[in-house]
Amino acid sequence: MNLRPVEFHILLALAADERHGYALLQEVASLTDGEIQLEPGTLYRALHRMLKNGWVAESARRPAADQDDERRRYYRLTPLGRRIASTEAERLWRLVTIARAHRLLSRA
Amino acid sequence: MPDVPRSAHQNTHTEVDLSRRSAREIRRAKADRRFAWWLVWLYPPAFRRDVGLGLVDALDDRMRARRAKGASAISVRLFAVVDTVRNAPAEWIATIDEMLRAVTVRLKPDTTRHAEDVSVVSGFSRTRGGRTVIDKLLQDVRYALRLWRRRPGFAAIAIMTLALGIGANTAMFSIVNAVLLRPLPYPSADRLVSVWARTKAYPQSLVSYDEYEAIQKEHGAVESIALWLGQSVNITGSNEPQRLVGSFVTATFFDVLGLQAERGRLFTEQESAPGTVQPVAVISRQLWRERFNEDPSAVGRTITVNGNLLTIVGVVAPPSGMTESPRDGYFIGGVDMFLPVALYPTPRGLRAAGGQMLSVARLKPGVTVSTANADLDVLAKRLLAADPKTQAGRGLTSESAHETVVGASRTSLLLLLAAVGVVLLIACVNVSQLLLARAVDRQKEIALRAALGASRTAVTRQLTVEAAMMAVAATTVGFLLGRWALAGLAWLQPPSVPIPKQVPLDGSVLLFTGGVAIFVAMLCGLAPALRSSRTDISRVLQAGFRRASGEGRRLRDGLAVVEMAMSVALVAISALLIQSLLAMQQAPLGFDVSNVFTLEFRLPQTKYSKPEDIARFFKRAIENVRAIPGVQSAALVRAVPFSGNGGSTGYAVEGRPVPDPAQLPQARFHLVTPDYFKTLRIPLLKGRDFTERDDLQAPLVSVINETFAKREWPGEDPIGRQFTTPNTQGPITVIGVVGDTKHYTATEPAIPQLYAAHYQVPLIFCSLVARVSGPTMAITNDVQRAIWAVDKDQPVWGVRSLEGKVEATQGQPRFLALLLGFFAGLALLLAGVGIYGVTSYGVSQRTHEIGIRLALGASGDRVLREIVARGARLTLIAVAIGLAGAIAMGRLASAVLFGVTPVDPAALVGAAVILGIVSIVACYIPARRASRVDPVVALGEE
Repeated sequence: MNLRPVEFHILLALAADERHGYALLQEVASLTDGEIQLEPGTLYRALHRMLKNGWVAESARRPAADQDDERRRYYRLTPLGRRIASTEAERLWRLVTIARAHRLLSRA
Repeated sequence: MPDVPRSAHQNTHTEVDLSRRSAREIRRAKADRRFAWWLVWLYPPAFRRDVGLGLVDALDDRMRARRAKGASAISVRLFAVVDTVRNAPAEWIATIDEMLRAVTVRLKPDTTRHAEDVSVVSGFSRTRGGRTVIDKLLQDVRYALRLWRRRPGFAAIAIMTLALGIGANTAMFSIVNAVLLRPLPYPSADRLVSVWARTKAYPQSLVSYDEYEAIQKEHGAVESIALWLGQSVNITGSNEPQRLVGSFVTATFFDVLGLQAERGRLFTEQESAPGTVQPVAVISRQLWRERFNEDPSAVGRTITVNGNLLTIVGVVAPPSGMTESPRDGYFIGGVDMFLPVALYPTPRGLRAAGGQMLSVARLKPGVTVSTANADLDVLAKRLLAADPKTQAGRGLTSESAHETVVGASRTSLLLLLAAVGVVLLIACVNVSQLLLARAVDRQKEIALRAALGASRTAVTRQLTVEAAMMAVAATTVGFLLGRWALAGLAWLQPPSVPIPKQVPLDGSVLLFTGGVAIFVAMLCGLAPALRSSRTDISRVLQAGFRRASGEGRRLRDGLAVVEMAMSVALVAISALLIQSLLAMQQAPLGFDVSNVFTLEFRLPQTKYSKPEDIARFFKRAIENVRAIPGVQSAALVRAVPFSGNGGSTGYAVEGRPVPDPAQLPQARFHLVTPDYFKTLRIPLLKGRDFTERDDLQAPLVSVINETFAKREWPGEDPIGRQFTTPNTQGPITVIGVVGDTKHYTATEPAIPQLYAAHYQVPLIFCSLVARVSGPTMAITNDVQRAIWAVDKDQPVWGVRSLEGKVEATQGQPRFLALLLGFFAGLALLLAGVGIYGVTSYGVSQRTHEIGIRLALGASGDRVLREIVARGARLTLIAVAIGLAGAIAMGRLASAVLFGVTPVDPAALVGAAVILGIVSIVACYIPARRASRVDPVVALGEE
């Protein structure tokens, strides 16, 4: 299956917790040590695609814990999304194992 | 492994400091949020519906975070804009791609669809046996409806495509029918002809009263003949002098056209002939309603026309049962008042004036135009023998009146009709492709049906019925669209365009529409019916049958090439037309059109019978106009350029052998006062302008244009040379040379022009031109008052800026180019959609094959390039065919192309390039999809 890198990162970010849009941006940035800085448009296009495929879903709105009381839209992983994320993770783990066996990885 | 923060909420807290918010910050925040809303609005509707709010939040947060870090407002917004610009178009393309794909056949058969098909199919065949044709047809209709309900998008797009094409054709044909095909609205209109005098310089020239009398007396092929000429007339006697449109006619005019009086009477031949003319007038129903409020006592009242007191003797009814005289009718359109022909203002009387008027005649029943022309030739020879001096070089000829009226518009209208025809053909090809694709895909279903007992013809019949239903639905919708388009055009009233105000719905239009419907049905249904009738049932039903990748490809490719070729041809032709329009608009006119005010007037002959009176009026009028603030210079001229008026005269150069009076060289003839050249900024190349001293007492002088000087005195100085004209006494001396100017159209060839001094040859027809320094039309009232200060009973009209006059002459070609360009664009769009469909379908069909190749190591890029290359090959063939067609059509349309040869390389290359771009883009989208095919999925397909 064709999983784009952006999508995998979003799935990872959502694996930990439900998040809203901007928080997702920040999470992806911190997961990749600042290498992937998503802009809102790119993120939401990927989110839209994943919503249509059934990998993520909207969760019930919770008020953000600011003084502002702006209610944001939160997204969560669906069981299908979780399965896809883990399949991909497994695939990467297998590749990493092979790479390690051929001493391609500098760390153990 | 790096530590992952526990909760995302912490992050939002640290980045956004919400503790202190000043009023200004709140305002800015609101503005940012509004800005974010606007940006999100640029995304497709479905996208907005699903995640729009979230995106607004995210954009807002992003902007706020950047601001908190100290970025300026502009850079913060710029980031957001760049993000949107990068993502919104891609989202739109994805949306459109999906929409189009949903319409063409989905090719992944899954088990659920199969089950449906079987149930539908068995339902079809179960009812077979012992049914009448009507029952079978009804069954086909119901089946088609069921199919459509399952895929409404498919049916909707096919029907709308056809409807647009049919609607455009119906509308265009209605116009062609109303303008070109319907007979003129007079009784026995097929026997009406225009009679022209024929001279060496002008094959269609004005007829003289003597010629008219001779033809009327002769009664050979002609049953009755009349003279007529429309002209402005002055009405005085009430508060403000007024100008009406008059027509000077012989009494036979009403007889020839079959017009009747609805009140009072029309005038008789005695009353209109020179020598016995009576002061009578006949008014139109329009004038009776507008000026006299339908007062019955209008008949019998007097009215002062051109200084003459005339009695109104009747009101003329509109021709044969129309409610109103056609405003744009040729013979009587817009005429307020009919006057006896002998009242036509000429200096020495109508008989001595020579060719002055237009002529219309009714031939005897059964006489053809060529017989009439033979008769007229004989008569002309007799007239020449009887009066060689006046009749020198003059012949007589006639043409069908219908031809006179519509001849000029014919080429443009037919060109437009051909254009919409091409659009419809392309639409039919597209729909045909859709149906063809579906027929190929339903092979299994068709084979099943055949195996369950339906005969081959039954299947073909069903496909044909479906195509016919589509055609019927499309025709209904299209017909309505066409009528609405016509109503819209009539409401818009584009100026000087051959679209009649009333486009009636008559039998021919309905017949045409019906014919188009049948044609469309046949065209669309033919290809799929052919295809399906060749299905090999046994092969199709084998287990594991895979749709061969080349099924019907040649037919599809052929159709795609045909529609692309047609659209190229249409684009090329419209490019030619647009080029010729640009050439016309940019052609140098020889004078400066900006900031020039013009108006027309004519002095009544009764009041200004002596040349001195006319000259005096002119002098005082110009003085008054020059005194108006804002007027830089003013002059009078007999006919303003681009007003449609003008005259020409023969001339003979002194000191050279006198040519035959019938063969005099012609020059355009202008009468001007001093300062005319300065007002219009026509360059004075040699010598001098006219002055006040060139008046009736001084010898005649003239200013000529460059072409005249080069033609008659090449390489010499023309100043001081002399020539004569038939209408003036004594030699005329050349005192100056000016640059060439255009007079009727912007692209006419250069011809000799000669200018004479108005004060030396005073004529009652005159126009004023004035160069103003402020807004051009602001001085209108001042000018009117200046003229009324000289003569309070002098009406003026035609008040317009010179720029406006020039633009008015270009209204028709501009509208033609616009319409044609619109149709060409439509054709291009349809062709683009067509090739997208063909390529997309080809890709879907070859998914299996592509999957194999990708799995074996071919790169996605290579697949993409191959598909695009295939499309490019088809496009090249189409371009070659299309351009050849365009060149052929260009020759036919050369009548409407000015200043551009039909084989203009720029237009042809441009059209080819445009089609190339459209088709490459149309191929690229499905090709990109092909390159991204997942081999695993593709191989699993059947």
